[in-house]
Amino acid sequence: MPTQRPAVLEGACRPAPPELAGSGPLPATADLAALAATARRIRRHAVGMVAIAGMGYLGQATSSAELFAVLYRAVLRHGRDRFVLSPGHYAITHYAAAVEAGLLAQGALATYGVDGTWLESISTERTPLVSATCGALGQGLSVGVGLALAAALAGEDRRTFVFASDGEMEEGQTWEAAMFAAHHGLGGLVLLLDCNGSQVDGPIGTVTTIEPVSAKWRSFGWDVHGVDGHNVGAILAALEAATASVRPSVLVARTVMLEGLGSVGDDRDAHFVTFGPGDVERALADTAPAASAAPAPAAASAAAVAAGAAS
Amino acid sequence: MSGVDLLPFPWTTTTKPYGSALLELARARPDVLALGADLTRQTETDLIRDELPQQFVNVGMAEQNLMGIASGLARTGRCVFVHTFGVFATRRPFEQVAMQVAYPGLDVKIVGFMPGLSSPGGPSHQAVDDVALMRALPNMTVMDVADATEVRQAVALIAEREGPCSLRLKRGEVPVLFGSEHRLAVPDAQWILEPGNVAVIASGMLVATAVRAAHVCDEAGLPVSVLNVPTLKPIDREAVLEAARRSSAIVTAENHSVVGGLGSAVAEVLAEAGAATPLRRVGVQDTYAQASSAPWLFREHGLDVNAVAQAAWTAAGQPGQAPTAADVAVEPGRYAPV
Repeated sequence: MPTQRPAVLEGACRPAPPELAGSGPLPATADLAALAATARRIRRHAVGMVAIAGMGYLGQATSSAELFAVLYRAVLRHGRDRFVLSPGHYAITHYAAAVEAGLLAQGALATYGVDGTWLESISTERTPLVSATCGALGQGLSVGVGLALAAALAGEDRRTFVFASDGEMEEGQTWEAAMFAAHHGLGGLVLLLDCNGSQVDGPIGTVTTIEPVSAKWRSFGWDVHGVDGHNVGAILAALEAATASVRPSVLVARTVMLEGLGSVGDDRDAHFVTFGPGDVERALADTAPAASAAPAPAAASAAAVAAGAAS
Repeated sequence: MSGVDLLPFPWTTTTKPYGSALLELARARPDVLALGADLTRQTETDLIRDELPQQFVNVGMAEQNLMGIASGLARTGRCVFVHTFGVFATRRPFEQVAMQVAYPGLDVKIVGFMPGLSSPGGPSHQAVDDVALMRALPNMTVMDVADATEVRQAVALIAEREGPCSLRLKRGEVPVLFGSEHRLAVPDAQWILEPGNVAVIASGMLVATAVRAAHVCDEAGLPVSVLNVPTLKPIDREAVLEAARRSSAIVTAENHSVVGGLGSAVAEVLAEAGAATPLRRVGVQDTYAQASSAPWLFREHGLDVNAVAQAAWTAAGQPGQAPTAADVAVEPGRYAPV
């Protein structure tokens, strides 16, 4: 028999280093108000993290906040199911959601993107709490297919969730993986597709045509669930249906890049946001807890903002 | 130390040494999975497909997806062998191999058939840069074995060796150069002919060529030793430096570009150690070939017995014309290098 494989490969994900570990996974919740509040806190965490350097992948966090909130708090069985983050640039949302799920200490967010950190701005093999990560776009779905195939071959009750962005549909490998997954009936595989319509050079539609997105996936043999990607109830219902399917499923989640940050505006490069004077304060006001809109700190240090963003 | 058991020329051939060894391994280890990208019979994986279908997956002509799926499977603790022609296992999915296999250091064994100019299919099918590509990746073990005996041993050996590995294999009839006493080990190089004034350091299909070239030179009065290097990364530095110490010149011989392969690896070792031993590199000379028969290509690109003998002869500063090999009539089931 083979020699013992590294334990890190056996589990659903890499554990967080002890100094970054959170309280442990919180009980799942289907309370839609709580999930919406979680998404709001994810945005607030992300504002704090981007504030550390004054620039970063804020638009990705705000477009995917509801998807991560529902997945991490209501659906993903931490320690059993597997999660692949295909666009590593979304690590910012992963870290914020992991804090909200009790998997990562909130103080860890203050280290986002700083030199030598565990919380790298584009995730890597060191990134805690993901089964695989793929900063090079278009690779994640194949890895998810491999994980789902492994579970199917072993007859294990593990689901594989892959998060990808719509821009990755430009990579041919995405369709290689889509074809294989449907052919092999990998029902345990669920793709969350963040259709924010944005890529580095601008709106996707100005670069190439990826529509009709849902029809493409349907024609490849997938169960397709079109949802408003900022509606936690719709996302939850779609994920519940997707996980019950005998076929691979995709949530085609229509989203907006800087959703929830009305004061910061949408006329800048949402793919990589650079904060101007006053932007941090405005963004924190935008993402203040709904019930009691807290005044923005007058001159918050970046690290303090990151560490205390959700408080 | 590894044992050496070089059989006398002319050598016999066998078929499917890899496929049968993989099947034997998979029978004993249910965690072993074989993945293919079409080309099942050509990569000898029809044997495992037919007997252990639950341990075989045909991914189809999608090599990038192939590497990603292999990565996902390996992340759950499985030992995954992936198969296609060498050129498609390395060039097309290079980024996937780098990011999903080599970087995480997973148990994925990349088995590429039809190395170098052994493919008659022209530049699109000739893996002349696969060793260079794989050697550049941290964590990757790179092997190019010489015969069927080594092929069989390599399968069990790389399965036991933790982490990714790239293995080049001759397709079709495979020569049997070594007997049952021969022992392969990573990363050991082996002196299979010695002593000699000139050392030929060879890998893969060019090992048989080097042995024949050594015979030709010996008969003409120039003793030539042959060092078999089945593991190109990590390379056996001590053996290379020993070759430098005991030889007036070194010739490397590989069925691959001289850029980035065995010749480069040996040059790196020699230069870093400050060895001044003259070096000649036999291999594909930084060019693309064409679609033609392997014997014609080996002669045209200087990968034949005479080219190796010529390189050894001139590297040793021998006067006059280098000796040439007599044409050997090759019967079915027999092997003589070009």
